[in-house]
Formats: sequence, structure tokens, C-alpha cells
Amino acid sequence: MKISKEIRQAARDFVRASFVDGVLDRGKVQSIVRSIIEKKPRNYIQLLENYRRLLRLELAKHRATIESATKLDSGLSKEIVSGLERKYGSGLTTDFVINPGLLGGVRVRVGSDVWDSSVRNRLERLQQQL
Amino acid sequence: MSSILEEIETQIAGLKTSTTKSNIGVVREAGDGVARVEGLSDVMLNEMIEFPGGQFGLALNLEETEVGVILLGDPTKVAEGDEVKTTGRLLQVPVGKALLGRVVNTLGQPIDNKGPIHTDSFYPVETIAPGIIKRRPVSQPVQTGIMAIDAMIPIGRGQRELIIGDRATGKTTIAVDTIISQARLNKAAEEGRIKDHRPLYCIYVAVGQKNSNVARILAVLEKQGAMPYTTIVSAPASDSATNQYLAPFAGASIGEWFMNNGMDALIIYDDLSKHAVAYRQVSLVLKRPSGREAYPGDVFYLHSRLLERSARVSEEAGGGSLTGLPIIETQAGDVSAYIPTNVISITDGQIYLEGDLFFQGVRPAISVGLSVSRVGSAAQIKAIKQVAGKVKLDLAQFRELAAFAQFGSDLDAATKARLDRGQRIVELFKQVQYNPISVEEQVAVLWAMQNGFLDQVPVDRVKEYQLKLQDFLSTRKEALLTEIRTKKALDKDLEAELANALNEFKTSWQ
Repeated sequence: MKISKEIRQAARDFVRASFVDGVLDRGKVQSIVRSIIEKKPRNYIQLLENYRRLLRLELAKHRATIESATKLDSGLSKEIVSGLERKYGSGLTTDFVINPGLLGGVRVRVGSDVWDSSVRNRLERLQQQL
Repeated sequence: MSSILEEIETQIAGLKTSTTKSNIGVVREAGDGVARVEGLSDVMLNEMIEFPGGQFGLALNLEETEVGVILLGDPTKVAEGDEVKTTGRLLQVPVGKALLGRVVNTLGQPIDNKGPIHTDSFYPVETIAPGIIKRRPVSQPVQTGIMAIDAMIPIGRGQRELIIGDRATGKTTIAVDTIISQARLNKAAEEGRIKDHRPLYCIYVAVGQKNSNVARILAVLEKQGAMPYTTIVSAPASDSATNQYLAPFAGASIGEWFMNNGMDALIIYDDLSKHAVAYRQVSLVLKRPSGREAYPGDVFYLHSRLLERSARVSEEAGGGSLTGLPIIETQAGDVSAYIPTNVISITDGQIYLEGDLFFQGVRPAISVGLSVSRVGSAAQIKAIKQVAGKVKLDLAQFRELAAFAQFGSDLDAATKARLDRGQRIVELFKQVQYNPISVEEQVAVLWAMQNGFLDQVPVDRVKEYQLKLQDFLSTRKEALLTEIRTKKALDKDLEAELANALNEFKTSWQ
């Protein structure tokens, strides 16, 4: 479905207003959503959906997913997180996921950047080269 | 000092680690040969995007939150939620002499069941055309073997000459004739029959054509022995719009390899009307704003950047050339439609084919009044200039008088002579397909016409006279033809010899 220019602009403005110093403000998001539902501007469902989508994309930029084949010890996890914060700034939310399919090593995803040192990735690259 | 050493050491250590960085995205929507991808924050315009299963796409639309990607492979294998990644590479095609004699698709993969193509050179599909400094003027001819073109609308190496006309007026035939003529010249040069000949390799790009048409052209070229010097790039009507849009660019890259390596190549885009339609489809599916006739705003740039890649480059840059023969199909003779006017303005002249002439039996149905070549006359050899200089004017006067003479039968002698001459020129320029005439034979026939040797021949027997004369010259007067070919100009001695030969032929001709 085509989204009008006005709705796209309004959703963008709301997303901008939802962040304080680069960190998502839960209270602000709630109040924005509440006020849209109360005021019911034209095409408000579309506006909310678009707002949700932009918020999801914005949050994904600041989410780090760290996958490893086995559970990482706390020292190593802290080191990884501090390294990521040095590169991407503070305000990262981190998820630790255990994925035995990696076979070994770590795969870190921040936004659309992926740092892959897993054994599976190495094997895949080897397969491609061969 | 030690800090520099440490830095180098860490860099070496960095090389040894096997961590790879990639930029990924997720397919949100896929359909009509286009995928919309979220993520891919580092993507570049025209970058290849890798899909799961070894499929690739091209990033054409970079938007705020999404990337529009056109798919190069099977679009049904791409699904919502697929993880894709950037590659940092541009689309490339294999190039080199290994492609001669082959039929390839848009990606340069062979589709002729003749095994893999072994080449180690690749060229990007989209390149920037040679600049001003690298170029030099057109001065060498492309002998099409079609007398009407070589005499009146000459094409030079590095020129872009548009072939335009309605459906079924012989546009592709002119292109195929030209390829056959080049193949014969190349072969003659290889066998040592022609000295100082620069071979001209041909690339035929079929865009949106019927597969049966491409197969027919391939069969003709094989039968005529032209395939060893020709590559066919085929994106037929059954291919995706993406492949049809990219095929001319892939063909141009294959041609550029010859140009950049000091060789000459000729590329035929058959046809750019269908190419524009394919690009319109891609653009509309990518939701780009549409303009006149629903074509996107950059359809002019699409064709101008493609045709600008045809050039003749200087000696320092290798001295090669790429000649372009784009084809445009008009609807009911309307040359003022959007795409025809665009391409007419980009090219260095056009050969306009008329349906009426075609059905009158004038084939090739070249309309002399509307066809021009803006740079080709500099490339004509002197002998052709000597005999064909006045032909275009004679024909134009003939057409004017012919229309006038329909009203009355009382004509003065001068008008009658002009009409007779015109009728004979029209007959001479009729030529059966796949039968190119060598330049020396063209010179001899045109010289005979200019010097009144045909005036006594009845109009309906002019063609017969011409064919027998060519036969006579090539079998009995080969030395004379060779001399015309090597001297490239007619002097007093040659003219006397020609007159003798023609008088000799006259006695045997009945």
C-alpha cells in the first residue's frame, strides 16, 4: 500500500522525538502512541504502522546480537561489549545467543554490519574458493 | 620508530585473523523480478548483492530505509526474509577473443552448447565512455557491402549510425549484411587477398527478440561463415526485463575490449525500442517516477551513455574503435515519437527505411531524403567519393521530377535524361539480402553508370546487366579490381582501363 508523503514525514518526526540523547525514551513513545490514538488524525493506523516500522529499524541499528557456538564466559562477553561500544558508541542493547550451528567462534551483528569469525563461515568461504 | 613497527605488526596480525566483515540486509518484499531489502546500510549504487543459493541482484534504488534490487537469476528462488549481503563488486562480463563464434546471455554465459568460455579478462557492464582526449575523428570506413549505404550514407569506424524503420522493412537484414561483409573482408585479409586490412569483429545484441529470430540469424551467419568473427548476445523476449535492460551494456563491454586492445569492433543493438520498454518495466516496478509515455526520466541518459561508448580512440590509447549500429522500430513511420527522437539526436546519422519503398520492391528500402550520415563521408575511400559524389543529388532530383512527370508526358530532353538516369540508379541500388558487394565492384558499377554505359540498357534489365558485369569483372578483370582496391582512387589510367573493360563487356552483353 502506498504511504503518503505527509504520513512518512510525520512518522519520521515522531521517531526523532522518541529519542533523547540518542537513547530511546519509553515514556515518550508511549505518550506519542496514546496521543495518536486519542486524536485519530487521518490514516492514523498507517501512521502508527509506519512509526512502528521506523522505530524497529532505528532500534536495530543499536542492537548488537552476539552469537556463539557455546556459552561465553562473562569476562569475554564484557570484552566484546566494550569493544563494540568503542566502535559504535554507547547505548547498544546486546543479546547473547547460543547457536551450535556456528560450530565454533563468534558472529556479531550490529545493525546491518556483521563480523563473522565462526567456523561455519570459514568453511563456507573455503567451499566458495574451491 | 618502534611504534611504526608495532603498527605494521598489528596490521599483519589483522590479515591473519579470519574474521570477515559484511553488510547484510533482509528481503522484505520480492516480486516482478525486483526485491526490496531492508538493512544494507553500506550498499553502493549498481553494486552486486548476493542472495542465498548463489543468486545475484543489482542495487538500483537506494532509499531512506530500503534498497530496490533487480534480480539477475531466477526471481522465484528469492523469498521474503532471506538474508542478503553486499559484495563490493560491480556486474562484470567475460571479454576477449574467446567470445567470438559464441552465443552468450546477458551475463556472458554461453547458451550455445559449445562448452565453457575460457577467458581471464572481465569488464564491468557499466563503464564511463572514453573522454575527449582519448578520442580522434572517424576516418576509416566500415564497408557494409550495401551499395546504397556505402555510396550515399557511408559509415565510419567509431561512428554511431541508427537504423530506423517500421516493422518488417529490413532493418535487421542491413545489420546482418554488414556482419557478413565484415566476415568476408576479414577472411580475405587472413588469406592475404587484401593488404593492410584491419579486421572488424562484430557483436550482435538481440534485445527482446523472438528466440526463433535469433536462431534464424545465427543459422544465416553460420551458413555465410561469419560466426568466427561474431559474438551474439541474446536477451530474448522470454528473458527477464532485467536481462533485457542489461544486455546492450554487456555487449558494449565485450566490444570495448576490442577497442581498448587496438582492434576494431562493430556492435548492433537490435533493438533499442524494446530495450527502452524493458527499462520502463524495471523502473515502474522499482516505483521510480514516470514521465512521457510512462518512460522514466532517465531514458535519454540510458541510451546516450550506451551509445557514447562507441568511439574511435587515439593511437596513444591503442587506436581501436567501436562502431555502433542501434536499431529502432517505429510505429507507422512516426519518427517523432519519444524514443526515436531521442536516439536520432544521440547518433551521428540515420538510415531510414520506408515501408512503401519496401513494398514497391526497392530493397533495401532506404529513403534517400531522410537518411544522413554526419561523419561518415570523411571515411569514404577516394574512389567511392569520385563516383558517388553526385548520386544523392541525382536521386533527389529524380524523385522530385518523377512526382512532377506523372502529370504530363511532354518532357524536354534534359528532364528525360535525368529521369532515365534516376531510374537506373534506383535499379542499381536494389540488392538481394545476404549478398554484400565489394567496394571495388561498387566503384566499377557506379563509374559505369556515371559515364553513361547503362544509358542504353533497358531499365528492367539494369539489374541483370549489373550482375553480369560484376561476374565479368571478378572472373576476367581481377587485376583491374585489385588495382582499384589497392590504389583506392581512380586515376586517368584506371579510368581508361575501366572504359576498355566495359566496352569489352558490352560486346558480350545482350
